[in-house]
Amino acid sequence: MSDIILSLRNATKLYAGVAAIDNVDFELRRGEIHALVGENGAGKSTLTKVMAGVVTLTSGTMQVDGVDAAPRTPLEARHLGIAMVFQENSLVPTMTVAQNLFLGQEKFYNRLRGIYIAAQQFLQSLNFDVTPTATVGLLGAAKKQMVEIARAVLHEAKVIIFDEPTATLTPEEKKYFFDLVRDLKRRGVSIVFISHALEEALILADRITILRDGKHVVTDDVAKFDRARIVQAMVGRDLSNTLYGSRKTTVRPAGARVLTVQNLKMAPMVRNNSLSVFAGQITGVFGLVGAGRTETFKVVAGILKRDFFHGGEVILHDKPVRYRVPAPAVRAGIAYVTEDRKVEGFFETMSVARNIYLGLLAKLPGGRFFLSGREADKVGQSWVDRLKVRTTGNDMKVVELSGGNQQKVVIAKSLVQEPDLIIFDEPTRGVDVGAIVEIHELIQRLADEGKAVVVISSYLPEIMALSDRILVSRQGKVVEEFSALEATEEKIMYAAVH
Amino acid sequence: MISALKSFADRLLGRGDATITVPSFDGALKPNQILEKAETIGQFDAPEDLATDGKALYVADGTTLLRLDGSAKPEVRHLDRPITALCCLPDGGIAVALDGREVRVFATPWAADPQATITDLSMTAVNALSPGTNGTLIATNGSTARPAAQWVYDLMERGRSGKVLSIDVSSRRVRPIASGLSFAFGACAADDTVFVSESWRHRVVAIAPDGSERAVLDNLPVYPSRLSPAASGGFWLTAFAARTQLVEFVLRENAYRRRMMAEIDPEYWIAPKLKSGESFLEPMQGAHIKTMGVVKPWAPPRSYGLVIRLDALGVPLYALHSRVDSVNHGVVAAVEMDGSLYAIAKGPGRLLRAPLAMIEKELRA
Repeated sequence: MSDIILSLRNATKLYAGVAAIDNVDFELRRGEIHALVGENGAGKSTLTKVMAGVVTLTSGTMQVDGVDAAPRTPLEARHLGIAMVFQENSLVPTMTVAQNLFLGQEKFYNRLRGIYIAAQQFLQSLNFDVTPTATVGLLGAAKKQMVEIARAVLHEAKVIIFDEPTATLTPEEKKYFFDLVRDLKRRGVSIVFISHALEEALILADRITILRDGKHVVTDDVAKFDRARIVQAMVGRDLSNTLYGSRKTTVRPAGARVLTVQNLKMAPMVRNNSLSVFAGQITGVFGLVGAGRTETFKVVAGILKRDFFHGGEVILHDKPVRYRVPAPAVRAGIAYVTEDRKVEGFFETMSVARNIYLGLLAKLPGGRFFLSGREADKVGQSWVDRLKVRTTGNDMKVVELSGGNQQKVVIAKSLVQEPDLIIFDEPTRGVDVGAIVEIHELIQRLADEGKAVVVISSYLPEIMALSDRILVSRQGKVVEEFSALEATEEKIMYAAVH
Repeated sequence: MISALKSFADRLLGRGDATITVPSFDGALKPNQILEKAETIGQFDAPEDLATDGKALYVADGTTLLRLDGSAKPEVRHLDRPITALCCLPDGGIAVALDGREVRVFATPWAADPQATITDLSMTAVNALSPGTNGTLIATNGSTARPAAQWVYDLMERGRSGKVLSIDVSSRRVRPIASGLSFAFGACAADDTVFVSESWRHRVVAIAPDGSERAVLDNLPVYPSRLSPAASGGFWLTAFAARTQLVEFVLRENAYRRRMMAEIDPEYWIAPKLKSGESFLEPMQGAHIKTMGVVKPWAPPRSYGLVIRLDALGVPLYALHSRVDSVNHGVVAAVEMDGSLYAIAKGPGRLLRAPLAMIEKELRA
């Protein structure tokens, strides 16, 4: 039996004549963990989608266990023993966890209780704290990810492909996930995983393949890589000093108090939360998944509603406000850049310019009866230029952009509203390192211009690199505040956990 | 009828005037223990106010005026009634308020007789004095309904009878420049504007020469008290207690509050205090909670100590705290002299000294 379980030779995939992957060679060994690294748009997702039967190659060959294979559907790939855990959840939100796990494996007669028992035992064996009877749509991102992973393991795949598996996981959940991946490896399963967190690739992988602009750059044993070499190979330039650079030595002084949250309650996520945000500063908000950070600021932005009875107070520019829908919050100068851009951030089949123009329309009271396509193009183009969104044209659909450029569109859609308070929720999740630098520079620039900026992030280096003051959230409320000058990763994590 | 229904709905839903929330100590008000670590340079029976002429400190201690300049006998004079406010004048004189009802101006601290004695019907609870422009004095009168010592009654009665008075020393004329304030407690003139702290509304207002008011610092998590100028521009603002949701709740429960005031010893009211933790009868001081590995009092702080450094526009720069588990509470006055900040913690009766260099070092740490 060959040591190579899956291989691709001269793999090329063209979209409308543009190569997403171009003559890529790839080999996956039996029982190895293989990290696939590259900027957004480098071709990682396309390469793995070819393996998982989501798309087919334009040219080139693929072999599984030494036999030519060209899966045309995920089902065909699953029959070949290849399963993929997608970055965007592919679960059915209205079904329960157990039903999702066994979807496609139904028998003629299905006993629901039996499925729940089997699912319970299986999830426990993986050490996943997920209730099998829970409806998937009501689960948080981390738990959905767990169900995705559990489903792939349940299908007894020989090759499991993870696309950004840890982006939504807490540090503790990540540890479980790493243990699970190592356990799968011991059982002879081969793992391909895509991650933007380079440390994870260095910790977990046996080998790393780096792609750039759809082309294969290098594949080597992990021992021969360090962070700087990976970054350089990914972007063709040295970014290691600009991304999450050295420790802060100065912080911006606080300006006027823009936002005060007092004893805010939104059961069960936000519990008596109080905090302030000041102009001309970046306020970083760190916390583990479930700490109530996103929910607090979604209440501020009118996306969620606080508790009806004694739900606390939101004070904007010294005036109590209560937004039940986002539109008045937008008009009051609050912009919320969502953590879930695919669902909440944009209309994926609309053009870049139209999406940005929608942000402007949201600011206008009552909207507009007649819309100007020319104005939309003009506004869109100006923001595409300002934020350096890489598009082939203003009419390009957002879904066709890479993750980093999609995020820039979401940000542009908010900034076009000229807000005073900008809330970035996980601004660089699923974004490549090149775009991370640009987004970080933009956030810094906004604070320099005197805007009140909030950055919610679960990634400590990002919080420490950006923030002037850091609020740590735990169990629905802010429990600690640090100046960026005094903060260390240990202090912040201790406050977030204990 | 509509307002009664609205009031009922607000109380039911916890919104509008019935919102029982307090802001957090964050940003420039982030807690530390600098005030608690400050050196105690004097212990007094009833310290009330503090002033400086740039050479020495003057302390009002009950009916006694003290001068602290390192000499053996600090006592300057005895007065017939308690001193409720004190300030040094630019011409070397000194002004004191007696029992909140009378202001006496002395040409020098040692002058045998007062240069001017001012009384007026509007002066009932003068609690702070500050030099104004053109030889005037600015005085804050906390309440017309209650004497200065009964400030907690004024809070529980939701008093709004505070005034800011301009006193022309030469003509002995008293002119109100602002009224209807919720316990005016501290004033400081800057150019032609007077900054006044309004304790029960938790704010600092700027009063223009035409009498118009503008909030420069609003929604503080504390009850602010006196203001004094800082050497490098801006102000020092003291606060004698922290706001809590419990007290805010009691302030909105009229029937409960009236009964509490009628039946309970004021010492044990659910109300801010200048010191706490002396009796098990005090409301909810016994419990605790373990947070971040540290045992912290569970009960909301009944007393607190705070000095806030404000810039010239009234924006807080930083704050010095004596937190709930400490003793330097009830800070009612602070002045800056010779590179140090001096503050009176009325709760324990202490005069505290914190060098500015030490404050900067602690804040950097």
